[in-house]
Amino acid sequence: KSSFAAQSRNAILVSPRQKGNPLLKHIRNVKWAFADIICDYLLGQNSCALYLSLRYHLLHPDYLYYRIRELQKNYKLRVVLCHVDVEDVVKPLLEVTKTALLHDCTLLCGWSLEECGRYLETIKVYENKPADIIQGQMDTDYLSRLTHALTTVRHVNKTDVVTLGSTFGSLSHIMDASMEDLARCPGIGERKVRRLYDTFHEPFKRAV
Amino acid sequence: MVQFYEHVLTDLLDDPNGGLVILSSGLSLSSLIASLLLLHSPPQGSLLLLSPSPALKQRLLRHLRSRSAAPLQIPAEITADLPASHRHSLYASGGAFFITPRILIVDLLTSRVPASTVAGIVIPNAHAIAETSTEAFIVRILKSLNKNAYVRAFSDKPHAMVAGFAKAERIMKCLFIRKLHLWPRFQVYVSQELEKDPPVVVDIRVPMSKNMVGIQKAIIEVMDACLKEMRKTNKVDVEDLTVENGLFKSFDEIVRRQLDPIWHMLGKKTKQLVSDLKTLRKLLDYLVRYDAVSYLKYLDTLRVSESFRSVWIFAESSYKIFELAKKRVYRFVRSDGTKLDEPGKSTTSKKRKLREEDNHEETASGGSSSTGVIVLEEVFEEAPKWKVLREVLEEIEQERRKATLTDEECLIEGEEGDSGIVLITCKDERSCMQLEDIITNNPQKVMREEWEKYLLSKVELRDARTRYKKKPKDPKGFGILDGTLHVTTTPTAEVSSTSKQEHNALLAAVSEIRNRAKLEKPGDSIQPLVGDEGCSNGTKDKNKKGRANAKTSQHRNSSGRKKVATDGNQAVPASEDGNLTDGLVSGGYCEGNVSGHSGDRAVLQMESDQSESRSVKPLPPLHFHALESDQPILDILKPSVIIAYHPDMTFVREIEVYKAENPSRRLKIYFLFYEESTEVQKFEASIRRENGAFESLIRQKSMMMIPVDQDGHCLGQNFSMEQQASSSQNSITRKAGGRKDAEREMQVIVDMREFMSSLPNVLHQKGMHIIPVTLEVGDYILSPLICVERKSIQDLFSSFTSGRLFHQVETMVRYYRTPVLLIEFSQDKSFSFQSASDIGDDVTPNSIISKLSLLALHFPRLRIIWSRSLHATAEIFFSLKANQDEPDLTKAIRVGVPSEEGIVENDVRAENYNTSAVEFLRRLPGVTDSNYRAIMDGCKSLAELALLPLDRLAELMGGQKVARTLREFLDAKYPTLL
Repeated sequence: KSSFAAQSRNAILVSPRQKGNPLLKHIRNVKWAFADIICDYLLGQNSCALYLSLRYHLLHPDYLYYRIRELQKNYKLRVVLCHVDVEDVVKPLLEVTKTALLHDCTLLCGWSLEECGRYLETIKVYENKPADIIQGQMDTDYLSRLTHALTTVRHVNKTDVVTLGSTFGSLSHIMDASMEDLARCPGIGERKVRRLYDTFHEPFKRAV
Repeated sequence: MVQFYEHVLTDLLDDPNGGLVILSSGLSLSSLIASLLLLHSPPQGSLLLLSPSPALKQRLLRHLRSRSAAPLQIPAEITADLPASHRHSLYASGGAFFITPRILIVDLLTSRVPASTVAGIVIPNAHAIAETSTEAFIVRILKSLNKNAYVRAFSDKPHAMVAGFAKAERIMKCLFIRKLHLWPRFQVYVSQELEKDPPVVVDIRVPMSKNMVGIQKAIIEVMDACLKEMRKTNKVDVEDLTVENGLFKSFDEIVRRQLDPIWHMLGKKTKQLVSDLKTLRKLLDYLVRYDAVSYLKYLDTLRVSESFRSVWIFAESSYKIFELAKKRVYRFVRSDGTKLDEPGKSTTSKKRKLREEDNHEETASGGSSSTGVIVLEEVFEEAPKWKVLREVLEEIEQERRKATLTDEECLIEGEEGDSGIVLITCKDERSCMQLEDIITNNPQKVMREEWEKYLLSKVELRDARTRYKKKPKDPKGFGILDGTLHVTTTPTAEVSSTSKQEHNALLAAVSEIRNRAKLEKPGDSIQPLVGDEGCSNGTKDKNKKGRANAKTSQHRNSSGRKKVATDGNQAVPASEDGNLTDGLVSGGYCEGNVSGHSGDRAVLQMESDQSESRSVKPLPPLHFHALESDQPILDILKPSVIIAYHPDMTFVREIEVYKAENPSRRLKIYFLFYEESTEVQKFEASIRRENGAFESLIRQKSMMMIPVDQDGHCLGQNFSMEQQASSSQNSITRKAGGRKDAEREMQVIVDMREFMSSLPNVLHQKGMHIIPVTLEVGDYILSPLICVERKSIQDLFSSFTSGRLFHQVETMVRYYRTPVLLIEFSQDKSFSFQSASDIGDDVTPNSIISKLSLLALHFPRLRIIWSRSLHATAEIFFSLKANQDEPDLTKAIRVGVPSEEGIVENDVRAENYNTSAVEFLRRLPGVTDSNYRAIMDGCKSLAELALLPLDRLAELMGGQKVARTLREFLDAKYPTLL
């Protein structure tokens, strides 16, 4: 029993409904196993996917809606994995898009079974991955990092960062500066002073 | 003004609705539009000129001023900087204005344009218009508000008007234009007028040198091979794949248009072929434009920079290109004078022998060489055109003098308008500067300078590399070169000994150059500044830099000083070239202020050896002009002799028009073509191509079907819209598709920046009411809940890489219940990211699949729309808006903009969190997704965090290492500025 639990943590669980779906052949980077689940693919604790071929959708336009309704509100990420396997996509895709959007599902499109399979694999593999690869490469030198942090405060620009840095000497001194000291910096007006000071001194969590 | 413009304008003005005029390139579109503007009078209403190119704008203004236009006929600029009320009054003033389509469409949509006061609009680049472009949007709105407004569109790029199916007709429909006016160069009025008194033409065919012919042949062979490869891919229409097409830039367009729909599915090899063909075309072009040394240098950089995948670089004939290019510059000879055998044929025993000699040479000091050693002999093949140009100039000067002597009257007449300047036109600025140098100095000297620069830079590169690899233990103190030689003596097995010898010969040449430079510098006291600091410091490194600077500044400087009168004997009276003398010092030249990157400095260089090294025959005053600069040079300079060093069809036409405008002026043109070169081929093909385009347009015109409704409007096929009685801009409602007329009109709030794209236009075509505003969050607001960020495929990839998309989604998620990422494919490109075979076997972080998955995982509330095209997007928007409330304008504008207190409105988190502090915290080094919550639990604010000791941080962050990273960053001393 415990081995099954361990397995289910590292594997994609597949609904028996998907038996015979050639897509399964393309899940190679992750283990998968059949299990009695409501969704088609269980990709993690909070994420699941429904598979839909557009050709099937043309035959059964209501299918997707009923499948989504079955899911209820059990998952944070609900993917509708749409295999684009028809030539004339505009109308069916519009319908699928609308259904997914209005019923809180994230639509992902694949143009081949390989691509669909890769989405399933990737979501499983990246389950706990931080977002840094899509947050943009940041320069790692001191000034760039300092600028990156300080410019979260609205209207603070690169020049202000230089002003603040050279006035206070270090980031901890900037964060600890009084409103008067901030106001003495050239180019930092009243509003910016206020915003900086509030950012540093207001508690992270507001009193509830 | 030439006569046929009158015909053009009469025809055009005949239809009060306007028309589309297509004329041959070079027939001075600017002058034609200027004439049109001169007919404009304020009581008609305002005339709006949609974003002409800067060059066209400049020419237009010049024409208007020279023809003394009234102030209101000279267009002013309407920019976004002007306040709205000011813009409103300008639109109503009845004047003529330049305006960008983006500003005009936003003003039209926000009713800032009093439409009844607009007489009409003028579009100078009709070939760039499509159904979905903003210009079409503008015309549609304007026509719905003021059906009497005219639209007058122009194009002087006929070949662009025939790209694609019935392009001219489609453009006319979307601009509501019914009349097409074609004015090719071969039109009767045009040709009659231009050929009535044509300029004297001298066509000089210069044979290319043997090496040039060889290179050209080799390039065409490689090109042909690439084209054959391309045909094998079966992806491109074979008919278009000819070498002749390959000579034009438009070839890339032909190929791209065919390949774009499947670009994502192409193999690397096909993509490489496309870029190789581009490189080869450049090589062909540069062959006739660059001197031998520069050409070699360019090839050299190509070899370094081209990717290892390049197909062409490994082709059989490419070797020939490199070999021949080298031969034009230098060759290796034995120092006893015999020519060296081709490398690669030498036997092993010979190699060994050579190596011995090699070592022998190295023991000898730098430049000297013993018998039998390979040395470098400079060849410096001059471009054949140079000599011819010089001869032509001398001939011109002789003729001119003869004329001055025999015909006094002619001189007086000439002095009125004839500056006596000979205009020499080249394609680019670089050729201009070099030609000028060559004519004023000795060609050999110019090439030697290039050569020395080339060699020095080559060695410098090497130095950098070798120094990086390993430092010579004993630098010997002789400077870099000796050090390098030392390094090369250490056995490098890969380098074959012959090439090594050649290499050493090259190095020897460099050291010679340096030695010479060393000797020259201190001895020459007249050179006050050049290499000054280098000498005083005594290090060669600096010295070299000084020299290099001096040379580059020389070049940079000559761009500022383009007029040069050269006359060794000073036979030309000073009055005649009065304004030209500033750049001239007899027997040398003076250079003014130089602004360069490496600090400004003035350079004064005397060319002491000039008089002896140069032939003394007098030359007329010259002006070198780069066609690329697109200046109205003929009107400015009023030359009587033109030498087309790089003949160009458009410029030839400009000359013809200029001559027709000034029939009394004598004009002689010399064409310098390389015989049997691609240069000739290209020139002739460009004329053929334009004629072909016109013939096709004439055929199209005879078959055109432009529907006309009762009001005299023509309606395009793609939009069926109805004018309602109340002619407000909101009156256009959707009628098609079996949908009922909406009770109320659907509204979409659109970010101003999105008017660069065509979606607002298409949404409007479908009957949506567009409200342009500046949005802080999102691009389109469909309802109070739905906010859309639109990404074209290209945008999607780039904004993933930059991290912008992540940030945009982050803010959308914060402020809207249904944040949407719209991925919009282009209709004429493939609807997919990649082919199944390109997906690969593993999950890789760089794949778009991985990025999208990660985005979905981090923002499970984000909805994604996949749209086939602009039009599909519009359909989706309609369907999503059904049963939704209309968006709230005031709210949408405020979203994401913090109010005075710094609290962001509508922020679901803002009530509970100090969002900017949380964001700040998460951007600090060491802080990760997994530990930032713990930090927030453990300390109250950022100010408190700044004071936490390391141990406490480690406790909160779950590790000494990350804690130290953060602590060190917080306490790091800010680098001082000085």
